[in-house]
Amino acid sequence: MRAPWRRSSTRAARGEGPWAWLAAGSVAVSLALLAVLLGLLAVRGLGYFWPAEVSLVTLDNGQQLAGRAVKEAPLPGGDARERLYRTGNRDLDGAIWTWVGLDEIREESHPSDLVVLERRRWSAFIGRLEAIETGDAGRITGEEAWGALRQRLHSLDSRWAEIESLHHRTIQPLVRRLEAGAATPEEHEALTRAQARVRELQAGMPDDTLVLKTVDGRQLREPLIEVARALRPNNMDMLEKGRVWVQGVWSFLSEGPRAANTTGGVWPAIFGTILMVVLMSIFVTPFGVLAAVYLNEVAHQGRLTRWVRIGVRNLAGVPSIVYGVFGLGVFVYGIGGHLDDWFFASSLPSPTFGTGGLLWASLTLALLTLPVVIVATEEGLARIPESQREGALALGATRLEMLTRVVLPMAMPAMLTGVILAVARAAGEVAPLMLVGVAKLAPQVPVDGEFPFLHLERKFMHLGYHIFDAAFHSGDVQAAMPLIYATALLLVLVILVLNLTAIFLRHYLRSRHGTLSKY
Amino acid sequence: MTVMQETRSSPGAFIDFSPDATSLEVRGFGLRYGDKPALDNLTLRVPRHRVTAFIGPSGCGKSTLLRALNRLHDLNEEVTWEGTIRLEGQDIHAPEVAVAELRRRVGMVFQAPNPFPMSIYDNVAFGLRLQGRMPKRRVDDIVEWALRSSALWDEVKDRLRASAWSLSGGQQQRLVIARTLAVGPEVLLLDEPASALDPISTLKVEELIRNLKSSLTLVLVTHNMQQAARVSDYTAFLQDGELVEYAPTDTLFTNPRLARTENYITGRMA
Amino acid sequence: MQHMPSPPPLRRHFRQTRDRLATALITAGGIGVIAAVMAIGVFLAVEVVPLFWSSSGDAPRINMETLWLPQTYEGHQTPVHRWQPALSEGGGEPRFGMLPLVWGTLEAAVWALLIAVPLALGAAAHSALFMSRRLRARIRPTLELMEAMPGVVIGFVAGLVLAPWLDVHLAQGMTLLIVLPAGLLLAGRLWALLGSGLRRRLPMGWAALWLLPWLLLFWCLSSWLAPLLEAWWFGGDLRAWLEVSLGLDYTNRNAIIVGMAMGFAVVPSIYALAEDALSGVPKSLVEGAEALGATRWQTLWKVVLPAAGPGVLSAVMIGAGRAVGETMIVLMASGNTALMTASPLDGLRSMAASIAIELPEAAPGGTHYRLLLLAALLLFVFTFCVNTLAEVVRARLRRRYRRMEGLS
Repeated sequence: MRAPWRRSSTRAARGEGPWAWLAAGSVAVSLALLAVLLGLLAVRGLGYFWPAEVSLVTLDNGQQLAGRAVKEAPLPGGDARERLYRTGNRDLDGAIWTWVGLDEIREESHPSDLVVLERRRWSAFIGRLEAIETGDAGRITGEEAWGALRQRLHSLDSRWAEIESLHHRTIQPLVRRLEAGAATPEEHEALTRAQARVRELQAGMPDDTLVLKTVDGRQLREPLIEVARALRPNNMDMLEKGRVWVQGVWSFLSEGPRAANTTGGVWPAIFGTILMVVLMSIFVTPFGVLAAVYLNEVAHQGRLTRWVRIGVRNLAGVPSIVYGVFGLGVFVYGIGGHLDDWFFASSLPSPTFGTGGLLWASLTLALLTLPVVIVATEEGLARIPESQREGALALGATRLEMLTRVVLPMAMPAMLTGVILAVARAAGEVAPLMLVGVAKLAPQVPVDGEFPFLHLERKFMHLGYHIFDAAFHSGDVQAAMPLIYATALLLVLVILVLNLTAIFLRHYLRSRHGTLSKY
Repeated sequence: MTVMQETRSSPGAFIDFSPDATSLEVRGFGLRYGDKPALDNLTLRVPRHRVTAFIGPSGCGKSTLLRALNRLHDLNEEVTWEGTIRLEGQDIHAPEVAVAELRRRVGMVFQAPNPFPMSIYDNVAFGLRLQGRMPKRRVDDIVEWALRSSALWDEVKDRLRASAWSLSGGQQQRLVIARTLAVGPEVLLLDEPASALDPISTLKVEELIRNLKSSLTLVLVTHNMQQAARVSDYTAFLQDGELVEYAPTDTLFTNPRLARTENYITGRMA
Repeated sequence: MQHMPSPPPLRRHFRQTRDRLATALITAGGIGVIAAVMAIGVFLAVEVVPLFWSSSGDAPRINMETLWLPQTYEGHQTPVHRWQPALSEGGGEPRFGMLPLVWGTLEAAVWALLIAVPLALGAAAHSALFMSRRLRARIRPTLELMEAMPGVVIGFVAGLVLAPWLDVHLAQGMTLLIVLPAGLLLAGRLWALLGSGLRRRLPMGWAALWLLPWLLLFWCLSSWLAPLLEAWWFGGDLRAWLEVSLGLDYTNRNAIIVGMAMGFAVVPSIYALAEDALSGVPKSLVEGAEALGATRWQTLWKVVLPAAGPGVLSAVMIGAGRAVGETMIVLMASGNTALMTASPLDGLRSMAASIAIELPEAAPGGTHYRLLLLAALLLFVFTFCVNTLAEVVRARLRRRYRRMEGLS
């Protein structure tokens, strides 16, 4: 019910006094908080992929350093401020950060020849490219070296991709079968062939070496195959930066994590989240609809049903961690433990189903979101006019026929709304997952080409837990921050889109029923 | 009306029909919602292939009686009943009677049109499809026949796939009648079928009712005296859950036996 | 009507049987599903009972006394409350005093409500009584979206962005608390002085939007004012002043941070329910009051609030239920130190966070495991009771509104 008595009278509000303004302010403050939070996530999360300029800083004492400015903070006790640079070169300096007092800086410039190399083993290198020593003792120097590096990296890309896919598609599954003692001679042979091909590809890679020099003059020799990506951010125009940005976003979405979850992508976490949520919907939809149909269409509408309905509604308010405890106690230790005793006794004491895993996590979240689906479906069922049910019955339909042919199709948008809301809630829940099966690092996704293809007992990665883990269990939070921002933005976007879909659906549903009630 | 004979055997019912002219027979029927009585010891016979109207003030039980005739009260657990209702001589509450089949034989049209949110065609074919698989041609034929019988065919034949909710109120009500006719009922119960319609649509529905009685037994509940007078052959006047007077329509309106009936009719007609 | 022959009896029989079967299935399934959901409480209770019934010989003795009263542990002179389930440095019995956890849970919830309730109720009052209907149709879903914000994201922002910021800008945070309300009051004053043309341009119904730049102005003002205030009143260093004169030690992740983060998370649910209650008040009541010359705000206090009071109360209760059980925000923003101090600048550890951290490591069936299940049971019982109460109050209120509308 809306209040139609709200007038846009300006005079009446003239003497409203102070409280009315504080009330108006609370709306403004709430909106501002939401906007700040979303803005922060958006700017920091998307900015992570932008190839920012690299500064060359010359200090008063003549020292030089190169890095990207991250933030500024006041020095303790005083007016002076200091600035944090991300200088990379962990292998040389032992750290990737350098604090510099603002008053120590004599000069700051952005020379175009500074390179940023992303390396496979160490963190980024920031400095200058002196030369490339080719395998046949040749030496390319100067501006040509940069061109040659780009060209070589480009040709290496396809080789890396092939090695990656061989590892992923052929070698790993075969090795697992070998370990299980189930490999046939043909599979042995296939494995040997694949390994030989990998060796061949690796041997065919150029054994060039890069001669690098930091801005303070230290030299470093890095094999070419260690370099994943090379950029000269100060020498790029907007278009090129945009391309690098898109590439960055793509690799964030499609690659696995590196360096203890502090860099790299979140693909396994995205996949784990989606798979878990899909499984959860498969569990929650039929049961939720069943319970709602029972409560609304079959059960005797008495005092007991009313209390059960209130109870179900209130279960939506029970903390998610309690569901996690239930999942751990009943699903993992109870049912999982017994399954292990009966079917997987050979691999005990290491548990198969008796530990957290995909199946238990999705079941727990299904239980958690069951009230959401039940409430939404019931709401939809209650909105269907009684005349529709009577119309079907009067034509000689049985109750089942009435339900399946008239009532449930009409309640479909409501059910869909409920399931989407459930999915949105489940996608953001982390606490119960910490008890029933989420993993810090599980680069193997729970779906592969190996029978039974979907591995319900495996642990999985989750976007929300990834945020928690990177924020609290990584050695260098500062280094992980951009990644956490990006992951948080992704999670929030997914949930916002799901919620908006639900709102839209509900709106559509109400407007459609509006046309019916006219008669 | 050769089969008609006047009797005074049952209280309240002043006309009776011989068994072979009777479609529905209600005997000693009473019904309560929880502990609230709605119908009390009703006895009357509904003649086959005639239009019988139930009139009476709001809450007199006329709609309740109508809904009892095809056991729509079954869904409501609070309802208790006594007495018997027979359709063609068979007790409709007998355990061997399948309620879905009973409702197919005794169709019902409600006060507000309630087409399903499907196409016009699917609405009409809905009941047919419940009865089992049927060749598409045959479904087409029956849908066309039902729409023709309810005088809707010419208006909708070009848009059978359009949503039934796109029709006007009067068209919707005729669609609902067509939908009911399609399953081949013997009796058609109409619960104030025109009360939500404009005058022109009302006239169309009334004309339809008159046309249908050649092949169907019709029972009409209405608030509208003129309507009862226009379309019905017999009229029953109910008050407070009792049958007060039941007579040929002409007789009841021009020469009621009881003062209660006369008061109601003159009050309402004036 | 001989058009359609009666269907074959076999088919009729089949349909009837199928219907009975399906009804039975739906009934069984429905009851089963509902029972499964309700089984949570039963499971927790059953698992907790052995704790008090049969402590086997080697397990540490647990009873009501050791759980809730201060105990004299090894190495302590006086009885204290301690939650130290796994002592790392070899010796010593685990210490199972539940009170610090309960304390932490309630402290976090109270701070969250202190921040959320004024904000949410103010917002609800404004959008129910003052806001233009068009704006309200946009604001409500926006704030509902805020409810969907995952706890882990809020916890991350609170723990890793807000906490370090406040660590440095404590004085500005305090200044904001004074400056923003003052700014709003000033806005009200100025607005009443405005010419009618300008006032029509800036209607009260849209205040929520046009106040935003105004608030930004006062934000800037506070960042300029903060060092001055800090210098005048607190000798240039607020944190040192707090420590010296109030004895409060500022911890980086503290109860205030938790309260702010969780308050943010709880605002939308309180707002939505309170707004429902306020805008559901029958219009006849409101019109009656306004006809007597009451201002909107007087109408709110004298008529709307007394009528909608129970609904507003139930909104706050639901908010409290959420705040007590929220896990990730407390886990990430609180430091998780099981202290029992009243200082809002100290860390805390809640029951939910304890469960999340400790349960995977606790041996199933052990004392520690069962105690964590006891914590879960407490959370379950508390939230379930609070929500049921709130639901009953709301149902009453709906009936009352219907009666009042019937009367008018």
